[in-house]
Amino acid sequence: MAELTLDHITKTFDDGGDEIVAVDDVSIDIADGEFLVLVGPSGCGKSTTLRTIAGLESITDGEIRLGGDVINDKRPQDRNTAMVFQSYALYPHMTVRGNMAFGLEESTQLSDDEIDDRVTEAAEMMGIADLLDRKPGELSGGQQQRVALGRAIVRNPEAFLMDEPLANLDAKLRAQMRTELQRIQEDLGVTTIYVTHDQTEAMTMGDRIAILDDGELQQVGTPLECYHEPANLFVAGFIGEPSMNTFEARVDGATLVTDDFEYDLSQRHRDAIGAREDVVFGIRPEDVEVGADTADGHTYAVTVDVVEPKGDENYVHMTFDDDHETPDTFTATIGGLRQVDAGDSVVVRFPPEAIHVFDAGSGEAVLNRSLDTAEGVDLVL
Amino acid sequence: MADTTDSRLGLNRIGLYAALALLVAFYLSPLESAIMTAFKTQTGFFETSPFVPPTPSTFTFDAWGQAFDRLEQGLVNSLLFTIPATVLSATLGSLVAYGLTNTKWRGQAFVLVLLVAGIFIPYQSVLVPLSRFWSIVDVASLFAWFEPVADRSGLVALAVTHTAYGIPITTLLFRAHYQSLDDSMLEAARLDGASIAKIYARIILPLSIPMFAVALIYQFTNIWNDLLFALVLVQNPANDVVTMSLTSLQGSMVGQYNLQMAGAFITALPTLLVYIFFGEQFAEGVAGGGA
Repeated sequence: MAELTLDHITKTFDDGGDEIVAVDDVSIDIADGEFLVLVGPSGCGKSTTLRTIAGLESITDGEIRLGGDVINDKRPQDRNTAMVFQSYALYPHMTVRGNMAFGLEESTQLSDDEIDDRVTEAAEMMGIADLLDRKPGELSGGQQQRVALGRAIVRNPEAFLMDEPLANLDAKLRAQMRTELQRIQEDLGVTTIYVTHDQTEAMTMGDRIAILDDGELQQVGTPLECYHEPANLFVAGFIGEPSMNTFEARVDGATLVTDDFEYDLSQRHRDAIGAREDVVFGIRPEDVEVGADTADGHTYAVTVDVVEPKGDENYVHMTFDDDHETPDTFTATIGGLRQVDAGDSVVVRFPPEAIHVFDAGSGEAVLNRSLDTAEGVDLVL
Repeated sequence: MADTTDSRLGLNRIGLYAALALLVAFYLSPLESAIMTAFKTQTGFFETSPFVPPTPSTFTFDAWGQAFDRLEQGLVNSLLFTIPATVLSATLGSLVAYGLTNTKWRGQAFVLVLLVAGIFIPYQSVLVPLSRFWSIVDVASLFAWFEPVADRSGLVALAVTHTAYGIPITTLLFRAHYQSLDDSMLEAARLDGASIAKIYARIILPLSIPMFAVALIYQFTNIWNDLLFALVLVQNPANDVVTMSLTSLQGSMVGQYNLQMAGAFITALPTLLVYIFFGEQFAEGVAGGGA
């Protein structure tokens, strides 16, 4: 168990003379026992980052430290990390026992009995003790996933590296394994880096999330920080489902002017925006108040374009310009029992405490929603 | 209605089976004639049609016995060079393919191009250089201290030549298989601490068994059936391989067809046995079911 530090790591690939930067000057400190989720769209460099930590790729620049030791130049097998692959990467000709024992046989001096004890222990922990003498081909996807995790656990590594380990499971099993994986990681207390493109996994599993885009680190923070206080437009759009609504806007004194509406700014808003003229206005779908009865500078009449019922809530896509064939829409989420139909005219309100403003040029957040008004509920009895 | 379609289907079926039976008869008739001939006396062969079974008076095992006597040494000699050449070319091909697919080094592509080119070199074009080579590398004098090898210098030359000639094709066979293996599985093995040699021995090799069956059958058949290299490389008649012995059954004055047919079957038997022995794995390997 150890803390893991990525210190300005850069990885470039040479593609026939062209240099492709896969990971661009990424620095993250991961505490001992922390569960860090590395998330981003495909091709953002998250898997490459993980592979450089494992030693499957060399780094072009920077330093990787595990428990204080620089491990850049160590061979993969000397780094004391264990990796779980999306494809499970089990050895098809070996039994589950053989798969789990392989690493111990190759990298330790343990006796056969000791190896067997450790394999049995890890198998019991993963609930696969009764499958030890089967081959991977005879197992279901979920069972194979457990074997792959067991194979990592049995090595007793200083860090777990997981590359989209749940991506090949069906939705129900994935949700179940998500919780189980968190429980196991908590029990073992092993520093874990978990790569995923799935923002639900990122939000629910990690102690902290690191969001990558185009090889560059966008933000590192707790899931709620990233959700409520995104560092920039990319994070705001990537985290949260459905995505944050954004409108390009111009600052005109105390008013934000978009193509669709004008928004009155408060003193707090104006202080944050400063002298900027071009900004992006953002609001999360659940912050849009549908059917507001007060009329102020934050309420607008809009038309419902499409309603997506989800049971517990409805996604309502609304538009300001209903005379278009394919209108620009924004989304609001409302309670599942509230009745709204396509074509209805409704009044929506963008509450001033819930809005985000981003710099139009750099995309950086200049104003995030205020959390003062968020209701604090004490759940601990 | 149902009845008419049924009977029509029935007629179609009968037609189909009749056509198939004709085709079977057409393709099997030479084989059948050969077997019948092999069991006939010389007079029986001259007096009856080739495909007519022998009568009790013209039936004999003599041809088989005689053919076996005259091919016996050739069979032993052929096995002596075919088995090592087959095993070596398959093993080396597997190792080369592993080196070309699952490791990274400079000049890989060039080596692969050389190997692919090697497949297309016709036997005939290398006959002269080959005989020159084996006269310079004189196995008999090199192994003068070890008689069993020195006496069989021609067979050693054949074994080495066929091994070398077989490596390109076996390499390509194994390479296709190794490329289909899951890269992350091999990465997992690396992270598990296995060296390149260990990964080969404990992961690649066990997963190659069906491919080995394909390579072994293919190489065995090819090498066993070769006559050209043997004619050039084998000087000592004691080292004559089975294909050479078979040609000598032709007789100079009168063609002893029963002897030739029996000899041909005896010569073909080992390749048949290899197919039967590795057949199941062969099917698996050809179907690509590596894992």
